[in-house]
Amino acid sequence: MQKAFGKKSVIFVFLFPALLIYTALVIVSIIWAGYYSFFDWSGVGDKIFVGLSNYIELFTNDDVFRASVGHTVIYTIINVAIQVFGGLLFAILLSRITKGRVVLQTLYYIPVVISSVAICQIFTKLFSVTPTGIVNQVLSFFSSSFKTMEWISNPSISLYVAAFVEAYKYLGLYMVIFYAALIGVPNELSEAAKIDGATVAQEYLHVRIPYIKPVIIANCLLVLNGSLRSFEFSYLLTHGGPGNSSELMTTYMYKQAFTSMKYGYGSAVAIMIVIICLVVGVLFRKMTGEGKEE
Amino acid sequence: MKRKILAFVLILTLVTSLLLVGCGQKKEEGSGSGSTGERTKITALLKGTESTEQYLVFNYLLKNFCDEKGLDYEIELVNDMQDYFTKLQMYINSNTLPDIYGCPNGTLSQACLDIDALVDVGAELERNGYAEKMNGAVKDFLTDVNDGNLYLFPQGLYCEYFMYRTDIFEEAGIKDTPTTWEEFQEACQKIADIGEIPVVVGGSDAWQLMRYLSFSPWRVTGAEFIQDYQAGTDSFAENESAKYSVNLLADLGTKGYFEPGFASVDYTSACNLFYGGTGAIFYSGSGNIDLADEMYKEGKLGFFPVPDTEGMENMDTNVPIHAGFAEGFNKGTYDETMQEFFDYMCENFSDACYTQAKIFSPFNEELPDGLPQLYYDTQPMFADAKTAWTSWDDKLNSDTLTKIVDAQQNLAQGNITPEKFIENCDALVEK
Repeated sequence: MQKAFGKKSVIFVFLFPALLIYTALVIVSIIWAGYYSFFDWSGVGDKIFVGLSNYIELFTNDDVFRASVGHTVIYTIINVAIQVFGGLLFAILLSRITKGRVVLQTLYYIPVVISSVAICQIFTKLFSVTPTGIVNQVLSFFSSSFKTMEWISNPSISLYVAAFVEAYKYLGLYMVIFYAALIGVPNELSEAAKIDGATVAQEYLHVRIPYIKPVIIANCLLVLNGSLRSFEFSYLLTHGGPGNSSELMTTYMYKQAFTSMKYGYGSAVAIMIVIICLVVGVLFRKMTGEGKEE
Repeated sequence: MKRKILAFVLILTLVTSLLLVGCGQKKEEGSGSGSTGERTKITALLKGTESTEQYLVFNYLLKNFCDEKGLDYEIELVNDMQDYFTKLQMYINSNTLPDIYGCPNGTLSQACLDIDALVDVGAELERNGYAEKMNGAVKDFLTDVNDGNLYLFPQGLYCEYFMYRTDIFEEAGIKDTPTTWEEFQEACQKIADIGEIPVVVGGSDAWQLMRYLSFSPWRVTGAEFIQDYQAGTDSFAENESAKYSVNLLADLGTKGYFEPGFASVDYTSACNLFYGGTGAIFYSGSGNIDLADEMYKEGKLGFFPVPDTEGMENMDTNVPIHAGFAEGFNKGTYDETMQEFFDYMCENFSDACYTQAKIFSPFNEELPDGLPQLYYDTQPMFADAKTAWTSWDDKLNSDTLTKIVDAQQNLAQGNITPEKFIENCDALVEK
């Protein structure tokens, strides 16, 4: 049996179905989206071939798309900061305690298993202005002006609120991954550092965190990719609004294809999302040493 | 040899499992016909859930009819509007529409007509004698703009009006309900002055703010402005009633007449707010009679129609009337059984509307006893109405509509000026 699994042909047999399904669902979809992006099509009726017009329009005339790219970048930075670095901080704190650790770990992980729709509903109620939600109610103890503070419907902060809600949901996931990585750091290394006179902060900064660097990079890549393709939080909380203030590339793509019924244009936006994700992913891997362990 | 056998067994298992998975899905029959061509089932695609009006009415009618005829029926429900449109488009593209399907009057009904998948409902109503009974405004709402025929059957009759809190009006010293928008804003100011929220609006649902944008053009021009705007022959800048409505929405939003955070309040939450005791005025309608019934009986609520635009000639109809989502009948599967169902539906539609869905029937028939008082009190407002509400959602193309929806929220929040709104919106359509 072991010999059989060592053979390339047998490994291929096991990998082939996944490759086939991946190709059918992802690669073929991207190719189709690329094909549709050359057409003007409302989803019903005839498709009109327009060549590169959709892309030219996207790059030259579409202010909302340009804004949505900027919003997506901000959204991604916030998510990386909170999910990866917040998750790491929480994991470090958890690794320092023994009493109540399991309870805290479970509590932090709960949002991960709650559906995004439910999370958005919860935050819509929390941030509600009329009737006054819990957040404004609590803040109004400090200043009565907070009672009518708008969060989701304020174009200046709606993007940050959406990013925060997504980060809140997945923080626990990355915390658990980091925690698992941190407790996997050999004790000899920590002990050696302590003998050399390292403080707790130095021990983490120079021993534990460098040791789990590959995990940090992998998590960064996951969050980066997830945030660039994020859709549901912005859409469910703010519909990309008010106006287009929290419009992400994905919500814009959805609106173009399914609300504006411009399937060709929406496909062009989708192709741009794929390209941007690929470019960012490749650049990130280049910057972090091709993902090779040191 | 053992390795070869093992590899062979693995491949065989894999192929078999894939085949089994593939064979596991039974092919659905689209038309509901048996192998002999005889109909065994009626299929329907409706927007909503098991508690929404369209489902309640059709489930009741189909169940009774199919029990009588020994048929099966299947109702496919899609709740989200966009998902529903996507699903409907898929059916249209593959020409596999069910026997009955929910369809708004506009681009999608035109697409159904293009593939010859809509029965001429008007002709069918003439045949069975129900054409004369249908409310004129409802018929007007669903009439096809291109050929003047009626291809869709109304979901019901919906009328819209403003509900107001009598106690707050009294406290604010408002004696008469507003009849013009100027009076409306004066009333709002008086209500705001006593510390109450003047108007509750579900600003995160596009249609709620859009109503304020379309009231004035509708009262002054009917469907003319929005049709001409879409055609590029009129504009917000050139049309006085449209310009008036832009300023009205900006005023209501920026003067604090809407509830704080209105842009993140959806229509359901707005209903709960108003009927839960918050706010003085709410744009509501016959769809909310059940919610309003208790307070109305206690004299805490009153209603008034859409105010006039001062300084302009307004049409007589001042209560927006529409037919809801409407239903189409698939011409490709419209056989004798479906025709029988159509006749059965017309005969029993009013009963289904009043007993199941609690909505007005589109047929002008006497109201049954035992309904909430608001039914009897509001009916005279629309009984003889001939002009339907003009829904911008149906008249604008999807792209323009999406952009106006984004812009109107900015306008109401004061993020853009009325001038900028007009400039932006006029640039959306080609002259």
